[in-house]
Amino acid sequence: MPEYIVEENALKDFLQSISKGRVLLSPQGVGDKCQITETTPDKVTLNFTNTHISPKTLFFPQTEWLMSFQKDHSKPHPYVYQDLGDKAKSAVVFGIRPCDAKGLSVSNKVFQNDRFTDPYWKGKYESVIKVGLACKDPFPQCFCVAMGGSPYGATGLDVLAFPSEKGLGLKPITDEGAKLLAEANLKEADLSSELKSQEEAAIKAQGIPDDYSPIDHRGLLNLFQDPQWQSIAENCLNCGVCTFICPTCHCFDIQDEENSEGGVRMRNWDTCMSWLFTVHGTGHNPRPSKTERVRQRFMHKLKYIPMKQNGDRGCTGCGRCVVLCPVNIDIRSVALRMSTLNMQKQA
Amino acid sequence: MPSLEETTQKIRETAKKALADGKAEVVIGYKKGTYPLSTAPFFARTPEDCDQLIWSNFARINLANYLPGRPGKVAVVAKGCDARSIVGQVAENQFHKDNLYVIGVPCTGMVDNNLIAAKEQRPYRDYSETLDTITLKGADFSTEIKKEEVLRRNCRTCANRTPKTADELVGPEVPGAQADDFADLKELHSKSPEERMEYFKDLIKDCLRCYACRNACPLCYCPVCFVDETRPQWLGKSTDPMDTLTFHLLRGLHCAGRCTSCGACETACPVNIKVREFNRITEETVMDEWGYEAGLSWEQKPPLTVFQPDDEASFIK
Repeated sequence: MPEYIVEENALKDFLQSISKGRVLLSPQGVGDKCQITETTPDKVTLNFTNTHISPKTLFFPQTEWLMSFQKDHSKPHPYVYQDLGDKAKSAVVFGIRPCDAKGLSVSNKVFQNDRFTDPYWKGKYESVIKVGLACKDPFPQCFCVAMGGSPYGATGLDVLAFPSEKGLGLKPITDEGAKLLAEANLKEADLSSELKSQEEAAIKAQGIPDDYSPIDHRGLLNLFQDPQWQSIAENCLNCGVCTFICPTCHCFDIQDEENSEGGVRMRNWDTCMSWLFTVHGTGHNPRPSKTERVRQRFMHKLKYIPMKQNGDRGCTGCGRCVVLCPVNIDIRSVALRMSTLNMQKQA
Repeated sequence: MPSLEETTQKIRETAKKALADGKAEVVIGYKKGTYPLSTAPFFARTPEDCDQLIWSNFARINLANYLPGRPGKVAVVAKGCDARSIVGQVAENQFHKDNLYVIGVPCTGMVDNNLIAAKEQRPYRDYSETLDTITLKGADFSTEIKKEEVLRRNCRTCANRTPKTADELVGPEVPGAQADDFADLKELHSKSPEERMEYFKDLIKDCLRCYACRNACPLCYCPVCFVDETRPQWLGKSTDPMDTLTFHLLRGLHCAGRCTSCGACETACPVNIKVREFNRITEETVMDEWGYEAGLSWEQKPPLTVFQPDDEASFIK
């Protein structure tokens, strides 16, 4: 597939074109207010680091109403849940970062696989065309390379955009992306060598990546039973910050809320950092202390998900949890400890 | 004032001595963080461990949070506000004073990273700090910022910078700011109840219900928080604004007469909510009603935990 170029002064026209008949979503605001929201072509900026919390809210809102019922017997189907319907709107997101697109593709395999399909996720995920923006200058918190990704990674994207010398470079990734670009009447250009050299430079800018591959080889029980989890857990406050801002954390809790007229069934983000996440009706809790809960978070991201998803990790190196953890529990250090312990055992 | 390095050395010496003298099995302090402008809580159990302890302008988290329920003898590095929290925990029987050794650090205030971010937007991978300055080092720049300009707001008005209840101080006493006049609440008080409701709703509109404020708070040691109760469930779990506001209002009220303005809640909040606003109001009320400030001496009794037969309120008789 050919690459395309959009000259700087034509960006607005390009965005106008791709958002015809669709909602345009793009990062807006600065700092902790930077979020992907509905916007218009004139407000789109390329000048942002990344959204403050992950863009999973697009497909997996913190609170989502699934079904409702009403108690009025004079109306049809009282006390029977009615689907609240799919609120998915056809949209194009411009400016999602490769780490997030990859992270959301990990969640996508949880919500849609050969065993289950979650209609609420599917409707939203599939109705959004994803135009990613490569990270020419990776930020200090970034470690996508160490996690097996790239600042120019295309996983989970339909189109990869990148700042080219001539303007904005666009590389179609999927057929849907190719169609989107073909319909936008853009200038074709061979940018493959520029793309390659930019990617190499951006990878280099992240420094020599840590090697976490020993985690993949280390036995599950061996990792699980490692006594060091206790010391990793000692600092942890068991707040849910890391899970809530993470692009791949996808656990939820189903709740019914009702009043005298009826009620709704909703799902809310949940967090494995909370004791309540696993407590049973009997009062028994299989993860009774911080140690088990902290272990779950890191094992899930770095061992269980790779085992289930052909080696793809449940961490894509966006760095949000590194920046926002109040007590500086750094997933890079944890992954390194999980890796190094293995090396020692092998030696 | 001793430099950060001098205080660091003094903390290490004191910690080693506390371990050697059997005053503590573990010293809870701070070590350098893995990310610019951060520290991590650190649990030192050996003299070698103690050499990792540091003092920094980023020692924001209140280490008293690690005390309730912890077995054995513990030494803890404490700023003025943290030492006050410890007094409160002891008064509330959450930790036994006999098992405690407080290493007090006279504090000149901690830095708010958001204020630094407002001054320097360019990315930096390295930094250095002195007692009065923070220097950010990027690829092609170096920016020096005066600490005075980026202090956390609770540190700017802190009148109790020296932890006077500590077992040992690692430096000379530092004067606190003038007595707190709650100037920051004046505007809020001028609002009508409806306006105040709007103000609070707006304050918490970004809340993720992650409860980092609660979990970072040394006062929030309840085995089960009311928001986590399921039988009965007191509070909805969604992002419903009233449920979220109820959490913050009730937490504020639970902390009445106990909060020491350590700012751990605001430091921990991932979306920069001014969580302390709720506590400030109760702090002022407790000051007005009883002239009481939490945690200043081992003898004082928290006003909301004592009963006096001659109480002027009729409902209590």
